[in-house]
Amino acid sequence: MNTLAAILWKDLVSEWRSRDRVVAMGLFAFLVVVVLRFALPGTDPAEVRRLAPGLLWVAYVFAALLGLNRAFALELENDALAGLALAPADRGWVFLGKAAANFVLLAVVQAATAIVFGVAFALDLWPVAGRLALVVALGSLGICAVGTLFSAVAVRTRYREVMLPLLLLPLLMPVLLGAVAATAALVADGVLPFPPIQLLLVTDATFLIVSFVGFEYVLDE
Amino acid sequence: MGTSQAPLDRIAAALRAPSGWLLAAIFATWLVAVARAPLDSMQGVIQKILYVHPPLAFAAYLGFSLTAIGGALFLWRGDEAYDRLARSAAEVGVLFCTLMIVTGPIWAKGTWGRWWSWDLRLTITLLLWFVYLAYLLLRSFTEGSERAARFAAVYGIAGLLVIPPNNLGRGSLGEGMGTPFALGAAVCLVAFLHLLTRRVEIEGLRARLAEKLLAPRGAGRA
Repeated sequence: MNTLAAILWKDLVSEWRSRDRVVAMGLFAFLVVVVLRFALPGTDPAEVRRLAPGLLWVAYVFAALLGLNRAFALELENDALAGLALAPADRGWVFLGKAAANFVLLAVVQAATAIVFGVAFALDLWPVAGRLALVVALGSLGICAVGTLFSAVAVRTRYREVMLPLLLLPLLMPVLLGAVAATAALVADGVLPFPPIQLLLVTDATFLIVSFVGFEYVLDE
Repeated sequence: MGTSQAPLDRIAAALRAPSGWLLAAIFATWLVAVARAPLDSMQGVIQKILYVHPPLAFAAYLGFSLTAIGGALFLWRGDEAYDRLARSAAEVGVLFCTLMIVTGPIWAKGTWGRWWSWDLRLTITLLLWFVYLAYLLLRSFTEGSERAARFAAVYGIAGLLVIPPNNLGRGSLGEGMGTPFALGAAVCLVAFLHLLTRRVEIEGLRARLAEKLLAPRGAGRA
């Protein structure tokens, strides 16, 4: 538990001092929103309501990929990853600390992106903000779990910026399926149906267990 | 000397010739059975793809399962022979999965009138195909064979746990379809086994060659 807090604190402090990951992710997500808006010119409000949930999650996933790619970049310098691996602590907690840091950074970016998205597509998300935040948190949990695991893998391969999306995107489909369905219901009728939430909970649990156990094997020595 | 064969390699070597002969024999029988099977009144000749397509699926899923099992055994026991099995099974599985993804739309276009539908079964197969292609890429982009094996094992297991192939074997067979269908399944499974044994053998030879090249001079002749 102390390990988790220490890793989380370390990542957040170093991010606070540079703020480069959050700024890069946020800017990228805004650009994706703008690109999507220009790719769908002259859409009427009903059409926007139908498409918005999927588009929002496209922006979220791209921003997450960008951020996750850098999650272990700092640890590569001065071989700090070896230090993490050799630390006399359970690697599962190290993993949870890294994943929690990614989750926090992603949440900041997601909140800002939702506001920009609402403005760009003239969509009032405010009445469902609380429940939307719950859905987004559940989706991000799954993304950050497998994302952190395979970020640690991809960072030590050639073409690592390409490798992470190739590894991650097929695995993320169950999360996206649930998250988009839940968001769509929220945007359309303002109600949160249980089946997509159930799917999100089940996939989150699977992802967390797989990543918690798998992390043990992806650090060297 | 370090040229001792793992039990797995010995099994593969022993199975190679028999599986080849068996494949040759039942492949011919299967061709005759498919040719003589009754023609579907609605779908015509295109319906005969059904004697190929589902059996390819069995072989593909078998390959991916063996990849995950081989990976898990490698992580557990640390024996590289299991990793060679996982890698070989992934390659052969991707081959069968590719054939399945190619034959499926041909049948669907003739029967449903469109190439692809996003139902659960098709989506899962497509995602698994992506996962195990990424698995093979991950192996070739990772330096160091032990590290590549570890990374790949974790990914191979995660892939099957996250995207479980949970809906095999739906639908029913009409009259006269049973024999060619069963033969098709047998052909695909034996073909899978044969390719897998050859692939495992190559990996084994490669590992022994690497071992020999790395061994100090003179020790190789002892």
